[in-house]
Amino acid sequence: MLEVRGVVKRYDGRAVVDQVSFQVQPGEIFALLGPNGAGKTTLIRMITDILKPDAGDVLLDGRPAFESKDKISYLPEERGVYRRAKVIDAVAYYGELKGMSPRDARDATARLLERVELPETATQQVQTLSKGMQQKIQLCTTLIGEPRLLILDEPFTGLDPVNTEMFEQILQERRAAGATVLLSTHQMNKVEELCDRALMIDHGHVVLYGTVREIRRDHAEHAVRVQADGAIPKVEGVREVTAENGATKLMLDDDTTPQAVLQALVARGVAIQSFEVATPPLEDIFRRVVHGGRAGSAAPAAAEPALTGGAR
Amino acid sequence: MKFSPRRVLVIARREYLATVRRRAYVFTVIGMPLLFGGLMAFSFRQSGGERHGALASFHALGVVDSSGLYAHAPDAIVTQASHKAFDEDGQQDTFTIAVRRYPDQAGALAALRAGEVNQVLVVPPDYLTHGGARRYVYGSRMFSSGDEGPVQRWLARGLLAGNVEPARIERVSDPGKSMALLTAQRGGEFQIENDKSEVMSFLLPYLFAMLLGMCIFTGGQYLMQGVSEEKESRILESLLCTVSPEDLLFGKLLGLGGAGFTMVGIWIAAGSLLAGQAALAMPIHVPPTMVAVALAYFVLGFLFYGSLMLMVGALTSNMRESQQFSVVFSLLNFSPLFMITSLLGHPEAPKSVLASLFPPTAPVSMVLRMNAPSFAVPAWQIALSLALLAAAVVVVVFIAARIFRIALLLYGKTPNLPEILRWARAGA
Repeated sequence: MLEVRGVVKRYDGRAVVDQVSFQVQPGEIFALLGPNGAGKTTLIRMITDILKPDAGDVLLDGRPAFESKDKISYLPEERGVYRRAKVIDAVAYYGELKGMSPRDARDATARLLERVELPETATQQVQTLSKGMQQKIQLCTTLIGEPRLLILDEPFTGLDPVNTEMFEQILQERRAAGATVLLSTHQMNKVEELCDRALMIDHGHVVLYGTVREIRRDHAEHAVRVQADGAIPKVEGVREVTAENGATKLMLDDDTTPQAVLQALVARGVAIQSFEVATPPLEDIFRRVVHGGRAGSAAPAAAEPALTGGAR
Repeated sequence: MKFSPRRVLVIARREYLATVRRRAYVFTVIGMPLLFGGLMAFSFRQSGGERHGALASFHALGVVDSSGLYAHAPDAIVTQASHKAFDEDGQQDTFTIAVRRYPDQAGALAALRAGEVNQVLVVPPDYLTHGGARRYVYGSRMFSSGDEGPVQRWLARGLLAGNVEPARIERVSDPGKSMALLTAQRGGEFQIENDKSEVMSFLLPYLFAMLLGMCIFTGGQYLMQGVSEEKESRILESLLCTVSPEDLLFGKLLGLGGAGFTMVGIWIAAGSLLAGQAALAMPIHVPPTMVAVALAYFVLGFLFYGSLMLMVGALTSNMRESQQFSVVFSLLNFSPLFMITSLLGHPEAPKSVLASLFPPTAPVSMVLRMNAPSFAVPAWQIALSLALLAAAVVVVVFIAARIFRIALLLYGKTPNLPEILRWARAGA
């Protein structure tokens, strides 16, 4: 289990990450969200022991994470592999760094290359491969050694739909094997598809934390979405009716419950195909929270320093 | 500072293999000795052939004797020279230069212009009291003096001709012929110094120092390039998740140091094999203690410059920028070669001692001083120099590790000096 306890990182006296705490369970895919400059990369670098927190602790299975470097893998957004090395050497190197014997590392590399459907590239130089292929090789460097904690920063960027699906399947496999997966992405649809829980930070502070379902429910409008054969009549307690993506959205009065509306519609003989509480997509929530936070903050809070120049 | 020996070894092995498989490394291993050997052979051949060539093309000397002192001077100059730099087998060619007399300077110069003579020597009327003879030649004599000796000997012989017996004339014209020079060795005994040993006493330390400097510097360059490359290709971030910056620093130093050792090993082994018996016949004697001390300087020198180069590689944002910085270290490392005459000729002088104690110049300076003929560097100076260098290595590695940690993740801008100093103090 990954446990982040009240971590703080300051630059020039300004908190870039401020008292962030969360837990990620084994076998869980956890989303780390936040707008650009929110402090995500700094937070990830503290989890991976690339940066030292000014306060707080990062624990993996109850022990300081820096003692378990062999068990942590990180696929950064800005990716790179040893371009002049052979694929098998480039991947096996990471395996050996994680404590595998050279032979085991090469065997594991061969298996991973099979999994990403690139077994024929083993003896090729990395730089001779296409960008997408290099991205798969980089994923192999992250997966080798079967890390307990897998941190992936925008892993789907630049991938075609087929390879995206392959990456997703691999993540599910890792989850099934009991790995803890921390996924940082701006692709909210992927968060909804893959992640169990999510944490969102803005200006270094936690602004959302919980299961994806809870977050969506907590930000639900007081409305229901209905699909039915034929027109939906006006029923009591509904103040507004709008069409939305082939369904009808009914905005409810404050004292009306979704159950009452369902009963009223059935009573009116409407042939209902689907009925659900209208929860907003995560993307809307993300936008709303970021805008709300910025509108509410009187002074600009400490943002992550620009990647160029500042000490991180 | 924390590191895992296992990871350090994995990194060192990868760095070593990646380096020795590079085309640039193979080229350095093979190309450098060929280049140096070729240049030296060419230079010796040139220096030996220069005098030989000058005499071979010197057929006639025009003489204008206004003093009347040379009426009985010989009409030809016979001289001998070898075409080799070292005249070890005594094989010499004989050259005869005809002496043609002219009544005045204008006539002699006209003959020079017409190519009838190669040089004109004008002896003024007051030559006996004031000297002041003039020699007229075509072309620059900046690097050529092979033809001057025979003319001077003719002047000496001509002055005495008819007044002194021939044997005495011969000796006066070349009083130092076959004179042996015996120099004191480190043990206090005197040994004959011939042309070959004289050159070797300069060449050997020079080559030794060059070799040391080159290995330190080449290894350092590879270190710097490696880090710059990893930074540019954004490998470091994923790597630093698995290894600590200290693992990376020490692994790289170890791996690249090993590649440097391999380079020296190949050069020494190949040199021994190729030179074979010829090497044994050379007046070269390298005591084992000197090899051990040189090895210690190599290791410490490599760690010193290697850590500095790694720091520069991490601080700069691309390879081109880091190479510009490395020029400074290169100059510092090789600077003792600029004072080689001092270090070899006056190894006991304060500035020579200082250069061999100052850590950045100590490896090359001390090796040069230790090879200086007739001088034994006091043991305490070697011990102090090694201790100072070792202390400097500890300080530089410590600072490098601190700066390395932060600078590795810095893209786009090279930090200024206050920033670097702040990181050195505070760490990440």
